[in-house]
Amino acid sequence: MALPKAAALVALSLSLAGMAGGSVVSAQAPAAQPQPPGPEDFMPRPGPAAPVPASPTVVSPPNVASAGAGVDGEAVDVTLSPECRVPGSKLYTLARLGAVKAALKEKHPVRVLAIGASTMGLGASATYPVKLETALERSLPDVDVVVESRGLQGEIASGAGERLRSMVAELEPDLVIWQVGSHDALARVDLDAFESALDETVQWIKGHAIDVVLVSPVYTASLAQDAYYTSLVGKVQEVARREGVPLVQRYEAMRYLALRNDKGEGHLLGTQFRLNDLGLRCMAEHVTRAITLSLLQPDPVSTGSAGRPALTLAPPKDSPGVKDSAGVRGTPPPVSPGD
Amino acid sequence: MREPNAVDFWRGLALVTIFVNHIPGNTFERYTYSQYGISDAAELFVFLAGWSIGIATRERDGRPEPRLRTVLRLLSRTIEVYRAQITTMALALAMIAGTALVLDNPLLLEWHNAGGFFADPIQTMVGFVMLTHQLGFFNILPLYVVLLGIAPVFVLIGRVSRVAALALSFGLYAASLVFEWNLPSWPGEGDWFFDPFCWQLLLVMGFTAQDWSRTSPWLKRSAPRLVPVGVLIVLTGIVLSVLELRPDPLLVPDPRLVFTFDKTYLSPARVIHFLGVLLAFQTLYAVIAPRLGWVATFLASLGRNSLAVFSIGSLLSLAAQLVRFWTGGGVVVDVFVVGFGLFALGFTAWFVEWRSRKPRLSSP
Repeated sequence: MALPKAAALVALSLSLAGMAGGSVVSAQAPAAQPQPPGPEDFMPRPGPAAPVPASPTVVSPPNVASAGAGVDGEAVDVTLSPECRVPGSKLYTLARLGAVKAALKEKHPVRVLAIGASTMGLGASATYPVKLETALERSLPDVDVVVESRGLQGEIASGAGERLRSMVAELEPDLVIWQVGSHDALARVDLDAFESALDETVQWIKGHAIDVVLVSPVYTASLAQDAYYTSLVGKVQEVARREGVPLVQRYEAMRYLALRNDKGEGHLLGTQFRLNDLGLRCMAEHVTRAITLSLLQPDPVSTGSAGRPALTLAPPKDSPGVKDSAGVRGTPPPVSPGD
Repeated sequence: MREPNAVDFWRGLALVTIFVNHIPGNTFERYTYSQYGISDAAELFVFLAGWSIGIATRERDGRPEPRLRTVLRLLSRTIEVYRAQITTMALALAMIAGTALVLDNPLLLEWHNAGGFFADPIQTMVGFVMLTHQLGFFNILPLYVVLLGIAPVFVLIGRVSRVAALALSFGLYAASLVFEWNLPSWPGEGDWFFDPFCWQLLLVMGFTAQDWSRTSPWLKRSAPRLVPVGVLIVLTGIVLSVLELRPDPLLVPDPRLVFTFDKTYLSPARVIHFLGVLLAFQTLYAVIAPRLGWVATFLASLGRNSLAVFSIGSLLSLAAQLVRFWTGGGVVVDVFVVGFGLFALGFTAWFVEWRSRKPRLSSP
């Protein structure tokens, strides 16, 4: 473990240097992460790449060059904590987030409404909304992020869209992060009715100059062959693409994690439940990653400050190399799927 | 056991409608009247609950029963409803968890607000017994517990002055609409699905209307003349809901909830629509009951035993949802689950009455 330890020191000192530089942001140093011996060990370890020189213009795109290769050869996004690492292409599709950008420019707090089925986590300090707020504030330095979360009962295809509108009107957020589809899938609503209702609601939110990020439903092995369920996940993707909104592909990401962690124990009771827990734990990180990268999407029209980015983003300080004192983020230690 | 009457009949219809509507996506959903109006069966259910309080807190000759007895009667009913809510919620959570285990499918744990219980049982257990953690579709009884809890205040004021009771009730309603007062959810964020401060209006309207119709010959004469007004409102409701026309909550002026069609806060449009339904259908029971035969008897028997039927109905709706998910749904499954559900609701009503008729069974 000598090599990773050394790399961690490099990463740590780099990030300290970045912080000492005030608001100037250093590029990430994902070189090599100290990893606990664990399930990831079967993967090729990233070598100590040369640190990218610091640049005032931010950015931590999925660093393919220095990333470890995933199960199917594609590089995983090493800015994520080890247990949550998934290749970018499996994790998100990006799109512009105009309202959040505007809020950042005007330096007013970014108000986020997180809507979804399971908005809670393990214990008060580690709930999804709290994790999300912390992760977003780490990624967007000097920005106050306020996350409100709401459960949304009912199906989009029958009335939940209407309740969502009331919530949005009540809270007037800049960004709606919407885990969508679980209830409709459980009710096996008509797929076209689901798609058109979702489309309509997303259009409505966007029409009021509020950003939307969609989060697709969970992956679980017993539904992998369920044509209805996979079509519904596909519909969420289609709507995100058509409406030009970022999508967090929770389904794809969890399928990737399932494959990575597969130790041939799929038959044991509870395996799917542990995966589900992992998916929930990683969700705040995954969502934050998609939002941070979406904020780097270029504006369609120059807004006068051409050539100068509207904002600067810090490297995710919670990347494993610089993990701060345990408990702050509330991230539990990496799971060992074998136990 | 009382004879079939209009109140029990309509309450039975509301119970069947709620049972069917709580199986989202099923074939029969589109044939319930909730799909064709701004208000739905929940309004009818709460209004008729108020009407029944009016009947229950008077002697047969119309004299009000002693005040203390009324307070104790409502307290005892509150406890009964609370017990029903705790029991049905516990069974519902076990049904969801059990099905998730059998199908090895954690998606089921995300069932309408159940996820919190499984992810965070320590806090949620407390919220569960405090009624601040509610499952989707299981949020009418918590409302009912609060309404029965505050009912004595309104009933006793109503004995002195009906106008005073209505004015107090309307004042609380209006203030809650404007200032968005509601009871909080906990441990999740947000508020109750049915805001008791707003929905109490229907309960108070229910029992004052019962009292008023009992004593006022003028009301008996003039109410039937308002049937056309009711029909007009009902027709407007059908047009609005079929064409999906409703105000955009971000475009209406403040206070927003006065103008939207919000269910949580019982927006005025829903109250007006419900009053229209009431006026339009007030005389219908006498006309249709003889023609419906056993259907009228069946619905009235459900209405007579509304708490038991509602509780079993909410569990049957959940079971039907789980069966539909497991089998993939479809018309055949829907016919089976809804048909079985209606039979089981009827059996529940019969069983409750059989049990109360029989001398108490000796314990083994």
